Amino acid sequence: MSASANPPSARLLEVAGLTRHFGGLKAVSDLNFHVAEREILGIIGPNGAGKTTAINLVSGVIRPSGGQVRLAGEDITGLPPHVLARKGLVRTFQSTTVYGDRTVHENAVRGAFLGLYPGFVSAFIDTPRARRMRADTERLVGELLEWLNLSEVAHLKAGSLPYGYQKTLGMVITLAAQPRIVMLDEPVAGLSAEEADHVRDTILKIRERGITVIVIDHNMRFMKGLCDRVMVMNQGHELTTGLPLEVLANPQVIEAYLGRGHAAAHRI
Amino acid sequence: MSKLSTLQRGQLAAQAAPPGGAARPAAVAGTARRWLTHPAVAAVVALALVLLPFTGQDKFVLSVAVTTFITAIAAASLHLIVRTGHVSLGHAAFMGIGAYVSALATMRLNLPFPLAVCLAFLAPAALALLVGPVVLRLTGKYFVLVTFLFGEIVRTVFVNWTEVTGGSNGIFGVPAPSPYFAEPVPFYYLALGFMLVILALIARLFNSEIGRAIEAIRESEPLARCSGVPVLRLKVTIFVLACGLAGIAGALQGHFVRYIDPTSFATDQSLTLVVINVVGGMFTLVGPILGTLFMVLLPEFLRGYVELQHVFFGVVLILVMAFFSGGIADMGQLLRRGGAKGAK
Amino acid sequence: MFNSAVLTQVAVDGIGLSAIYILIALGFTLLFGIMRVVNFAHGAFAMLGGYALFYLYGDWGLPYLVAAPLAALVVAAAALVLERFVYRFFYQKMFQSMIGLLGLDMAIMYLAVIAWNAEERSVPPGTEALVEVGDLVFPAQKLIIAAIAAVALLAFYLFTHYTRYGRAMRAAAQDVEIAQAQGVNSSAIYQLAFFIAVFMAALAGGFYAQTYALSPFVGEPQLMIAFVVVILGGMGSIPGVALGGLLLGLANSFLGTFYGSAASTFVTFGAVILLLIFRPWGLLGAKEA
Repeated sequence: MSASANPPSARLLEVAGLTRHFGGLKAVSDLNFHVAEREILGIIGPNGAGKTTAINLVSGVIRPSGGQVRLAGEDITGLPPHVLARKGLVRTFQSTTVYGDRTVHENAVRGAFLGLYPGFVSAFIDTPRARRMRADTERLVGELLEWLNLSEVAHLKAGSLPYGYQKTLGMVITLAAQPRIVMLDEPVAGLSAEEADHVRDTILKIRERGITVIVIDHNMRFMKGLCDRVMVMNQGHELTTGLPLEVLANPQVIEAYLGRGHAAAHRI
Repeated sequence: MSKLSTLQRGQLAAQAAPPGGAARPAAVAGTARRWLTHPAVAAVVALALVLLPFTGQDKFVLSVAVTTFITAIAAASLHLIVRTGHVSLGHAAFMGIGAYVSALATMRLNLPFPLAVCLAFLAPAALALLVGPVVLRLTGKYFVLVTFLFGEIVRTVFVNWTEVTGGSNGIFGVPAPSPYFAEPVPFYYLALGFMLVILALIARLFNSEIGRAIEAIRESEPLARCSGVPVLRLKVTIFVLACGLAGIAGALQGHFVRYIDPTSFATDQSLTLVVINVVGGMFTLVGPILGTLFMVLLPEFLRGYVELQHVFFGVVLILVMAFFSGGIADMGQLLRRGGAKGAK
Repeated sequence: MFNSAVLTQVAVDGIGLSAIYILIALGFTLLFGIMRVVNFAHGAFAMLGGYALFYLYGDWGLPYLVAAPLAALVVAAAALVLERFVYRFFYQKMFQSMIGLLGLDMAIMYLAVIAWNAEERSVPPGTEALVEVGDLVFPAQKLIIAAIAAVALLAFYLFTHYTRYGRAMRAAAQDVEIAQAQGVNSSAIYQLAFFIAVFMAALAGGFYAQTYALSPFVGEPQLMIAFVVVILGGMGSIPGVALGGLLLGLANSFLGTFYGSAASTFVTFGAVILLLIFRPWGLLGAKEA
């Protein structure tokens, strides 16, 4: 994976000084990073490093105590998730990936809410605009499912699918919102090696569509094979950022994961 | 979500793309529910109700029917809230507000009935708009408790604000909507008309994209939110609508019984509405309709044994919550899966 | 109006009420903390305790200090049947338990109406004697109630801190799965907790019947009390119950004496609603997910 050039004007997402307190605990402390357009940025770090909090802060699930988040130059700090979705920022969840009791097709349609919902009154009386939006959405969903090889299972209940399919469906839900940037929370947790490879290929396809991706996960092999750059978090802030191979060989990173004294003993 | 073995995955894949290409459809609705919601069935039932007075029924039957219609409106309005994932144990309070407002509007302000009904919708809706944004942020159990307490507070107001509400004596002599509607048969049609229109509107709402968004909210707020659904705003909109409709039900009750009793809009009634939704089915509009029938017909079987009715309701509630969280309407689905699936 | 004699009287009354409130609420919070069950039928058990006391003490004339705990024992033992046949299906299922146990409450209440009809009765106090301390006069009955309640609470504290089963119960209250992993028989613990919870509710119900009145519907206000105390103090928190019970007892006594019972209702419910909105885990509870 080659590092993409990062001229400042191509920075889609910029995070500066992001901080979040929980009582006396600083879960995220003065976090800085950026993502260029069409880049795949990985975020790794030991448990408790603050990765999940960071993604929750950026995606509007919790509000920051301080700092700033900019999307394409626009300040989006503290905005709620549904507003961010409208601006093109979406995410997946680690635990609830899909609407388990609904069909794959219905899951995708729900992801397309922004392109489907014409407003309360319009939806109620089913205006021509509402019908048009519905037709467009059906087309979009059909195309998405086809593209990611889910058409054949479109009528099955999402909860009955193998876990790998569900994770992919979770990504489809975000894609249905036609986003500019997607944040994936542990997309390969619990998957086998082949399933993880499938997810990796899917993410690469997503990037080819022009979508920027941020991935959080623990699976080093997966991250190495996927990300353009990797940011390591530790104790709420950024430890180092760079090419995957460099970062993973960094003694400070090893120390963060395995504790002091191990750095010298390890060579990757 | 458990990991499947390679063998299971293979079987699933084969199932997903069998040679014939006919995938097993995801059955979320039971067959029983499907034929109940068929438009033809609804039309037949509506027609039967329209023709009922012509079969020479006496005043008592018409009266029971009117009470059923009013209860169905109230239960269906609570159903709106339940579908967003919140169970309100204080819904009768909004009925009561509508009842008092309509009575006072016609009696003290001499407003015509149609205007009074509008006020009976607007007053509880306004209160819902005030408390909704705060209260709807609460999760399941806290929402139940807060609405329970809210209902008690409103009842205390009804009973103590004597200058306006007549205190524990209530309000006597509430007029009929008009001299014409003072007769049982015309009022029957008035109540039937309200019910059919309101149920049709609610059904339309659930069939529209609004309904889809509501389901998404109930099944997973985080997923819905991140897909762009303005969760709180939508919940509040539905809540306001629901409480307004409850007010209309309350107004109809007031003008029917011609008397407003503060104790008839207390926790007992709120619980009845919840029972109707729970027993009838919480995930489909047919649920509260079935539930209302159940709650109305049952006393007829146990006529004269009021206490036994309550005991029976209690036992039914226990059984339904222990084994059939989805209520009667979903029982067809449960039976097809081979017995109690175990409450979630 | 606010002279020290009256205030002291009000305070003592308040503490007397607090004793009953704490007893009722303790069982309620125990069931929530360990089994995650919101026992909407809690007031019904209190009501049954009242009737048990009525028969054991008022009818059969057993000595008061025997009748009060015996009545509670009888109700708790009988209730174990319900534990097996009803409660078992609602453990760890909070929402289902709320509605389902509301149904149980209704069933018990109306069976009581069938058995004893709806008219109000009274249970005579343990003693008519009065106790004089300086200017102040208290009914000995109130002091006896407070004393019995204190003994019960002390016994509960000692039990949960110094006996094997009691400590196991506390462990289960913290985390059932961990406790199970350490070999605690959750089924036995549940039955034990249930027995204790109902015992205390029935005991409180007997006192309530003596203080106010007895009828099949007298459980409802007691359920509300349990609710309010537990929400004030924090659902699942035992010290919270003591704090909440004390606050509510004193508040009710004070507000009721000086401003009437409607004011009392408004203020306490209003405070609880505000608490639920801004601090739902109560004053001493744990902020849960």
